[in-house]
Amino acid sequence: MSGISLQDIRKSYPNGPRILHGVSLDIEPGEFVVIVGPSGCGKSTLLRMIAGLDRCEEGRIEIGGRLANDLAPQDRDIAMIFQNYALYPHMTVRENIAFGLELRGMRKAEREQRALDVAKTLQLESYLDRKPAALSGGQRQRVAMGRAMARNASIFLMDEPLSNLDNALRISMRTEIKELHRQLGATIVYVTHDQTEAMSLADKVAVMKGGHVLQFDRPDMIYDRPCNQFVAGFLGSPPINFVAAEALPGLQGKKLSLQELTVGLRPEILTVHGENPGGNALPARLLLSEMTGSEMLLHCESPAGRLTVTTARRDLPTDTSSLWISYDLDRALFFDSQSGDRMDIVLDGGEAAAN
Amino acid sequence: MKPENPFLAGLALIAGLLFLSPVLYSVWISFQTADAYYAGELGFTLDNYGRAVGQYNFARYLLNSLIVSGLVTLFGITFATMAAFAFARYSFRGGNLLFGATVATLMIPSHISLIPNYLSLAKVGLLDTYAGLILPAISNGFAAFFLRQYIRGIPKALDEAAYMDGAKPLQVLWRIIVPLSRPAIASMALYIFMTEWNSYIWPLVAVGDQDLYTLQIGLARLYRINPGEGLVDWPLVMAASTITILPVLCGFLLVERHLVRGITMGAVK
Ligand SMILES: Nc1ncnc2c1ncn2[C@@H]1O[C@H](COP(=O)(O)OP(=O)(O)OP(=O)(O)O)[C@@H](O)[C@H]1O
Ligand SMILES: [Mg+2]
Repeated sequence: MSGISLQDIRKSYPNGPRILHGVSLDIEPGEFVVIVGPSGCGKSTLLRMIAGLDRCEEGRIEIGGRLANDLAPQDRDIAMIFQNYALYPHMTVRENIAFGLELRGMRKAEREQRALDVAKTLQLESYLDRKPAALSGGQRQRVAMGRAMARNASIFLMDEPLSNLDNALRISMRTEIKELHRQLGATIVYVTHDQTEAMSLADKVAVMKGGHVLQFDRPDMIYDRPCNQFVAGFLGSPPINFVAAEALPGLQGKKLSLQELTVGLRPEILTVHGENPGGNALPARLLLSEMTGSEMLLHCESPAGRLTVTTARRDLPTDTSSLWISYDLDRALFFDSQSGDRMDIVLDGGEAAAN
Repeated sequence: MKPENPFLAGLALIAGLLFLSPVLYSVWISFQTADAYYAGELGFTLDNYGRAVGQYNFARYLLNSLIVSGLVTLFGITFATMAAFAFARYSFRGGNLLFGATVATLMIPSHISLIPNYLSLAKVGLLDTYAGLILPAISNGFAAFFLRQYIRGIPKALDEAAYMDGAKPLQVLWRIIVPLSRPAIASMALYIFMTEWNSYIWPLVAVGDQDLYTLQIGLARLYRINPGEGLVDWPLVMAASTITILPVLCGFLLVERHLVRGITMGAVK
C-alpha cells in the first residue's frame, strides 16, 4: 500500500492544447479515491500519468513517498484497468489473468489456481479457455478487472471498470471491488461516470473539469458543501435545482443583494402539496412525472423556474393539476450568481446575510 | 471443399497449371536418360539424381544453401523484428532519420554494394567462409519497414497493459508483439529465405572454395558439363534444379498456415 502525491501536474500533448492545468492531489495510503468529471476533462490522462504511461514533465508525482516522475510503469507496482480493456487477444482468459503473475515469477500451478479464484469471483470460470474475441463486452470488462485483481499491487487504477455491465452485475462487482479494497488495503484511484458508484465507493471524491480539480473531499462533504455551482450540479441524481434568490418567497437580503445570489435546492429538500401549505411555498404545475420505483420524480414549472422534486409514491397528491412546492431553506445551498462559488449564508428568519 | 463459383475455380485451376507446367516439365525431364532425351525417346532413370549428388557434390551444396539461407533468415528476421519494434514504438532522437535511411536502402540496387562488401570482407578475412556469405545479407531494410508498418497497427494499449503487468520491453516484444505479428513475420521470413536461397551474385563473388558453393552456384556450373558435341546435359541440370526447388517448396508449405491474419480482434473495445 502506498500513497500518491501529485503536485501541480500539467500535461499537454505535443502540438496540442493543454489537457491538465496544474492538478494537485494528496492520496493517503489505502484510500479509495474516485475521480468524476465530464467526458474529456482529463481523467484518463491523469490516470495514465500516475501509471507512468504518459511522461510527467511538469509537476511532481510521488508514489509511496518516492519521486516517481522517472520511474518506468513496470517499476511502480501499479495494476491498471484500462477504459478500453486492452486484453491480450492471443491469450485465453486464463492466460490474460495470469500473465502478470507469470512475469513476476509465480509458479504455474499457483498462478492458475489464482486465476481460477479470481475468475470465480467475477463469474468467469466457464470462459477461462476462451480468447477475448469470443467474449461479450461485459465479459471482456470483467477479464480486464480480473487481470488487475489477480495481482497484489499496492495501487490500483481503474478507468470506468464497470461501465459495460448490466445493473445486477454492476452492483455485485461494486461489492467485489469494495471487498477487494478491504482485503488488500490497497490504494485505489477509480474513474467513473456513475454517481452511485462514486458516492458509495469513495473515501474521497475528486471532481474534475477542464483539466482542473475543482474539489477533493469526502463524498458527503462534496454533496453537502460543494465548492461551486458546477460541483453541486454534477453530483446528485436527480440533479439539484438552481433558482434565482429573488424569485423565492421567504428570502430577504440583508447587507446583500439577492440578485447576486443563486439558490440550490436538492430535489429531496422539496416537498409537494395538493394545496397551499402556508409558509415558504411556490405554486407549481406538473409537466412530467417519472416513476423510479418507490419514488416519483416530478418535473414542475413554477414562478421560480423549472423544479425537479422527488417524492414517495404514496405522498403524491391525488389531484396533480395544481401543486404547491415547499422548501427547507436551512438545507438550501447558496451560490454567487457571477462566479458560481458557494457562499456561506446565515439565515436569520428568512434574512440572508453573507458570512 | 466445394468451390463456390465453378467458373472462378476453373480459372484458378488453369492459372495454377500454367504456372506449374515448367516445373512439372523439368521434373519430368530429370527422370530421363540423356541419350533418350536427345533421341526424343522415353527412358526412365534415377541416375541423374545419383550423379548430381555423387559426382557433382550437390548434397554438399544443398547443405551449404540450407545453412546459409537458414541462418540469414534467422538473424535477418530477428534483427528486422527488433528494429521494427523500436521504429514502431519508440520515438528517439534521430529515429525518423534512421528509419528514412532504412527505407532508402530499398532503393539501392544490390550490385552497387557488391564491391564495397567484397573489399570490407576481404579486409577482415571473411571471404571464403560461411560468415562471409551470411553477414552482408542479414540486414533487410524491406523486412524492417514492412514489420514496422504491421506493428503500428497493433493497439499500443496492449503494450501498455503488458508494462503495467510488469513486463520489460523485450518481454513485451516477445510475448505480445511477436505472437500478434506472426502472419507478417512468417511472410517476411519466407521472403528473406527465398531471396537468399535464390541469391547468385554474392555467393559467386564471396566464395571460391568449391566446398562452400551454394546450390545456385553449383547449378550454374553444371551448364558447363557437356556430354559431348557442345550440348548441355539437360536431364542432369533438371535433376539439380529439382533438388534446388524442393526445400523452398517445403518451406512454403511449412509457413503457409501462418500467413493468415486477423487475430488482433477483441483486444480493445
Ligand atoms: N494522444 C492524445 N493526443 C492529443 N490529445 C489527446 C490525446 N489523448 C487524449 N487527448 C485529449 O485530452 C483530453 C482528455 O482526455 P481524457 O482521455 O483524459 O478524458 P477523460 O476525462 O478520460 O474522458 P472520458 O470520460 O470520455 O473517458 C481530451 O480532450 C482528449 O481529446
Ligand atoms: Mg477516459
